[in-house]
Amino acid sequence: MSVIAAESLPAMSDSVPTPTAHWHRPWLSAALASGLAAIVTVAMTGLPGGTAALPHIARQAMAEALPRWGTTEVVSEVVYGSRGFDTFGETFLLLAAVMAVVVLSRGREPRHEYVGEAGAGRSEQAAADPHDESDEAEREARAAESEEQQDRPAPDDADDDALGRRAPERAIAMTVVIRVGVRIAAVILAVIGVYLAAWGYTPGGGFPAGLVLAGVIVLLYTAFGHRAVRLAVRPRILEIIEMAGAAGIVGVGVLGLMLRGSMFDNWLPLALQQTIRAGGTLQAFSGFELVEVATGITIAIFALLGMGHDWAPDEECS
Amino acid sequence: MIVANYVVAGLLFCLGLFAVISQRHLVKVVLGLSVMESSTYLLLVSLGYRENSTAPVLAGLPTGRSQHDLATGNVADPVLQNFCITAVVIGVAVTAVFLTVVVRAAQHYRSVDTVDLTQLQG
Repeated sequence: MSVIAAESLPAMSDSVPTPTAHWHRPWLSAALASGLAAIVTVAMTGLPGGTAALPHIARQAMAEALPRWGTTEVVSEVVYGSRGFDTFGETFLLLAAVMAVVVLSRGREPRHEYVGEAGAGRSEQAAADPHDESDEAEREARAAESEEQQDRPAPDDADDDALGRRAPERAIAMTVVIRVGVRIAAVILAVIGVYLAAWGYTPGGGFPAGLVLAGVIVLLYTAFGHRAVRLAVRPRILEIIEMAGAAGIVGVGVLGLMLRGSMFDNWLPLALQQTIRAGGTLQAFSGFELVEVATGITIAIFALLGMGHDWAPDEECS
Repeated sequence: MIVANYVVAGLLFCLGLFAVISQRHLVKVVLGLSVMESSTYLLLVSLGYRENSTAPVLAGLPTGRSQHDLATGNVADPVLQNFCITAVVIGVAVTAVFLTVVVRAAQHYRSVDTVDLTQLQG
């Protein structure tokens, strides 16, 4: 790690903000963006309007949805059927993004088995600079910070916490109004989320359903705090479920290749249309996609939320 | 009048780009990228629009029309709607990656101002 001389570090918090401090050459940017806007506007007016004929691929999807896939929802047929391989690629793009978040958000590796660098100097780093005069506001904020790091019991209810503290909010749960509202909304949203994927004739299937379920978990976290979702939202549980979802998608595709000669081709018997089993492998793909999206987005959000208080600048390392 | 949607999508894209190249706050840059991304959703869905058409769904048919009529009739483009569904989910994940980078940069430099992030310069 490089050593940076103390004087070369910019004085960030001490700099006096100027009226244009939030902007970086706004007039040049405005001129460039306006120029592009003019070009884009001219180009957009030349695009085909609402009278153009449907492209061949869309017409084929309309014609194939019922006879080949047994579904009445043509958009789902395109997502998991005729363009299944493309969705497969997009799913693994999502997986790669989740991996990137997990890797970037991970704290420093504990190295106590070798030299114990990670633990050394931690108390000094956390302590205030003795030469700095600390005022009441800073002491209050530091006390709250240390309390948050130790994860000691905080007030259960937001109403028990004083207003206007110069610190992160300590209460783990929000007020009773929000808690009751979320208890009702979460159940309805969870049912809607599963319904979106479970019925073979709802638009989109697993993609939007997975986002709805991830939203339910975030909603519960927001209203009841981390302790309410701690048992379920764990890397060991979520990462295994996500990988199982990814393996399921690969399995559906490869079985199609082996049994029908084409990746993601339908190899299940078609059930009656507009029933829960309508759609053949399309439903299976959609279900695994639900698992993949719901766990992937949850992992990404919680990895981001749980990023450690690693505020020690790296320039002290040598 | 669907051309108005195209133009608004194009202008939204340029607005997002303006935020990305003119703002110094990293979170605002990420917001600008999200606006650019959202403009593509509007463009994709608008491109799928067909005048006097119905949704590409073969259920809940109006009386006197069969599924075959609808499959061969005037419907909105389902392929572009498919692009939109997948793009929204990927967009959420990619925004999470951006925000993680912002948090790490903020922890490293103690700043979210791009002017302070000069270590890669030169």
